Amino acid sequence: MATKYRILIIDDEEVVLDSCTLILAGGNYQLATAKNGNLGLELAKEFQPDLVFVDLKMPGISGLEVLERIRDLDPNIVSIVITGYATVSSAVEAMKNGAYDFLPKPFTPDEFRLITQRGLDRRRLVLETITLRKEKEMLRENFAAIVSHELKSPLGAVQQNLFVLEYELEDKLNEEQKEKIERMKSKINDLINLIHTWLRVISVDVKKLQESFKPTSIPAVIAKAVENVQPQAIRKNIEIVPTVQEPLRFVNGDEGTLVEVVGNILHNGIKFSREGSRIQIKAEEKENTLIISIADTGIGISKEDLPYIFEDFYTGDTGPIVEKSSGLGLAIAKRIVEAHNGSISVESELGRGTTFTILLPVQ
Amino acid sequence: MNTQKQLLIIDDDPDFVAGIKSVLEKAEYSVDVAYNPKDGFQALQSKPYDLLLLDIMMGRGAEGVAIARKLRKDPKLRELPVLIITGIREQIAFLFPGQPVHPHFVELDELVEKPVEPKLLLEKVSTLLKMAEEKKSQKKG
Repeated sequence: MATKYRILIIDDEEVVLDSCTLILAGGNYQLATAKNGNLGLELAKEFQPDLVFVDLKMPGISGLEVLERIRDLDPNIVSIVITGYATVSSAVEAMKNGAYDFLPKPFTPDEFRLITQRGLDRRRLVLETITLRKEKEMLRENFAAIVSHELKSPLGAVQQNLFVLEYELEDKLNEEQKEKIERMKSKINDLINLIHTWLRVISVDVKKLQESFKPTSIPAVIAKAVENVQPQAIRKNIEIVPTVQEPLRFVNGDEGTLVEVVGNILHNGIKFSREGSRIQIKAEEKENTLIISIADTGIGISKEDLPYIFEDFYTGDTGPIVEKSSGLGLAIAKRIVEAHNGSISVESELGRGTTFTILLPVQ
Repeated sequence: MNTQKQLLIIDDDPDFVAGIKSVLEKAEYSVDVAYNPKDGFQALQSKPYDLLLLDIMMGRGAEGVAIARKLRKDPKLRELPVLIITGIREQIAFLFPGQPVHPHFVELDELVEKPVEPKLLLEKVSTLLKMAEEKKSQKKG
């Protein structure tokens, strides 16, 4: 890379500063030195170093404190501590507090060059990671707009025109023709819903969700979720049995998304259950934790699939009896539960059924 | 005076517009269309309309929102009922986090999602028109 890296060395021994400057002379660096912590910190603010060497043992403010204040200044500055052999343990302490490496005194020019190179490599990686993370975030934000405009709008327009055709031809179409239109409408509707689900995945913004948290009643969440999936359950003659062990305290959370989570798991349970079976949903409180468990006696999940079911787009080999799915429902559920500082887990036995357990901290 | 109601659609998607325009015309409304916010606002100032059908996501973002803001500020247009038609629920939530889906951009508005069933569309349009008329007569009274 063509950019000149900036290196700051803070050490009270003039010999060290001089020799370090000498060793790095001629390299593609910009160098600055300071002979105590205060001067070093002052310098760090305007010099904006990529890499800082800090002597741990200095008169005035200690090296450890200098390190800490540099980190407050910019946590992405790479720091390396210089230390005598006798103070290796404090070097370890410094590394626990975020220093990248340590350089024991006395050191040879080669050792110093090597550790400088390592430190700068580290800095390059840190900077690259930051850029990548920013790009990913931008992509995530823009993706929502792209998906909605480029995919959903045309599909919506097709559906709209189909609606109108059906409406305008209402008394001219025969039953068979009407059925064909119904079929088209329903397929397009599936596609639109799929796009909605994708959008939902990328738009679950954990921070924004947490801003709207308030005391939430879990029995109410369960009641709403059960109500939402009741039509499918009735169609398959599946009974959903809720058991709430009162008293339950409130959970600090967002009711809408929690209903989504429970509803999604219930919906899966119905999908993978045989006609006429039961799904048990229980809520209880134990040791400041609210436990919601949802158990079906359906086809179960194989051991091979189990570790992956919370991943994006994972649908597993669900066999022929099941409708297709986007493979995103559980991924969204996991994200939502984790935004509530909770956890979600699953136990399953092939042919016997599946139990999902959601743990949420009580206020 | 002509009792036919004058409607204006502002939406940048001609395919979608075709799908709702014919429904409205069949129901005896007179319908004008503007395919971008600029033309739309000009049309609003050129003649009086009874109702505006407004798309939210146009061009590079929520340009429909900008129109709604302009309407609010305009003393003549402030009372124009608006049927907001939007592709995406989530995007309304993006724009107005923490608010219920019904945005209340202007005094009288309603929200439908794209695509919209013709019956629902006609129902919303006639409800809004009725509400606007009631409001007018209240003021006169």
